[in-house]
Amino acid sequence: MKRYVLLIIGLAMTAIYLFPLYWMYLTALKSSTEIFQYPPTFWPSDTQWNFLEVWKTREMGRYIWNSLLIATGVTILATTLGTGCAYVLSRVRNVWIEIALFAILMMQVLPSSLMVTPIFVMFNQIGLLASPRIAVILAQTAKVLPLYIVLCRATFVQVPRELEEAALVDGSSRIGAFFHIMLPLARNGILVTSVLIFLQSFGEYVYARSLIAKNELQTATVGLQTFMGPNANDWNGIMTYAAIYVTPILIVFMLLQRRIVSGLTAGALK
Amino acid sequence: MLQIEIDHLNKHYGGFHALKDVNISIKQGSFVALVGPSGCGKSTLLRTLAGLEKTSSGDVRIAGRSVIGKPPRERDVAMVFQSYALYPHMDVEHNMNYSMRLKRRPKEEISERTRTAAETLGLGNLLDRLPKALSGGQRQRVAMGRAIVRNPKVFLFDEPLSNLDAALRVHMRSEIRKLHERLNATSVYVTHDQVEAMTMADHVVVMRAGVVEQQGSPLDLYDRPANRFVAGFIGSPAMNFLPATVTDNGALVLDNDSAQIRLNRDIAAGCQFWIGMRPEHLSLKPCVNDMAIDATVTGIESTGSMTFVVLEVASQPVVLAHSGRPETRRGDQLRLHISLDNLHLFDRETELAA
Repeated sequence: MKRYVLLIIGLAMTAIYLFPLYWMYLTALKSSTEIFQYPPTFWPSDTQWNFLEVWKTREMGRYIWNSLLIATGVTILATTLGTGCAYVLSRVRNVWIEIALFAILMMQVLPSSLMVTPIFVMFNQIGLLASPRIAVILAQTAKVLPLYIVLCRATFVQVPRELEEAALVDGSSRIGAFFHIMLPLARNGILVTSVLIFLQSFGEYVYARSLIAKNELQTATVGLQTFMGPNANDWNGIMTYAAIYVTPILIVFMLLQRRIVSGLTAGALK
Repeated sequence: MLQIEIDHLNKHYGGFHALKDVNISIKQGSFVALVGPSGCGKSTLLRTLAGLEKTSSGDVRIAGRSVIGKPPRERDVAMVFQSYALYPHMDVEHNMNYSMRLKRRPKEEISERTRTAAETLGLGNLLDRLPKALSGGQRQRVAMGRAIVRNPKVFLFDEPLSNLDAALRVHMRSEIRKLHERLNATSVYVTHDQVEAMTMADHVVVMRAGVVEQQGSPLDLYDRPANRFVAGFIGSPAMNFLPATVTDNGALVLDNDSAQIRLNRDIAAGCQFWIGMRPEHLSLKPCVNDMAIDATVTGIESTGSMTFVVLEVASQPVVLAHSGRPETRRGDQLRLHISLDNLHLFDRETELAA
């Protein structure tokens, strides 16, 4: 009995959570008169397939390419810098490390909209705004790096220290032990965390909006904004854009779902 | 030839003095057991030999060369960890030959030596398994295999048998000992189990609180313990201790009891001692040159082959080990006998053997 009640509550909550997503796809498929119809319809009567048209007229290919470029850059930079850092923070224990960890967690708290002004001024002064996508990559890396380090460190902490010591006694150097033993064992956690920060950067808005001036270099999130005018009412177009943009992310999440769950709860390495 | 020399070794962790002036010399080919209660520094000492811990002062020489400040890979030692520390993402074969792959040995040599080691340990048909698909005993063997393929100068064992069940542990004890002899290796073996130390080692080092209390051959330690701690630690069941004081007439009298012991040596009156008596030296029948004490039986524990009679002497518990089945019952009053030759005396203040 109790199980069924819990199941129903779970289903209800999932429905509430997924409803906006459903509404997005629905609106993308409805005609513009049907969108404003009252009472609303829950299934499109006159299905519109204007995905290709929106893709072309809104130049989505270019926007998404820019988003991909930035997200990939951020992910590569954050994993390169963050993995070693996370490893050290997981292995060395002293007061300074505690302070560093605390500082990292604190940085996590600062929102992009707060950081963007000083970052803009600084990047402007050192001339980084001439290559605005790199500027966004740097700013976004700084934003996601703390999260990456904290999550990755948790994965490294779960790898027993003795494995590393065994490798050292077996004749490995510290760096060798890191690459041969620690990295393969933390692989799942690193992969999952990288995907998380990739997706976060793929949907980044504040830095792209503020640091990129040229429209050709803009990301998909900012591209979505081009729909917005003083009297925007092309809800069908907006939702079609959103659907095209979000669907690949959803697919990646669904494919990696098992790994993400096991990565976040992993502990049974040995 | 000396294979390992530990010379005035000290180790501090912050304010904690973990190893205090440790001196041990280990001959090539010998099997040394480091034994002591938990927290006595035996594992720290082993890890220091492996190069996993830094030393604070003193010297460690392996095969005549000082290894202070050298990383583990420059020491040519192999270590078997308590948790086995098998690499979970490598199969048995790769676990075993990781060290050789690091040294970039020729492929034929690697596979040859891995196979030989695997066969020695009965792992021949498990080479492609991952550690998670192995039983505890098999994992233990892989951990051993990883050490023996390397043919190192020194084997270090950190309580390798403590995760096995009792029967397998006894079996592996003799296996390790046989392996040691076959490889003519030098082994240092850490254990908290004094039986393991006594049965396996040629040289036993008893440690407590970072200090080497005594070292020597197992029977030496058993027959001539240097102090009360070693006497109580070596031997199972543990040695019985009764407090006694020397009277004016030179006899040793048990506290709270009238039993008198005439010792064949001169001791100043008023000296206080612990009298140590091994359970297996106590007897219910009179023997040559013996002393007798009144005792009450408070319990009987039988293992079948041995019977441990728990007695009370001068309101102190005393255990007697009897091979066979004595006809006593709880509450019986009887006379305990022990040969004076088997008595141990420890100064009550310094705890040193008198």
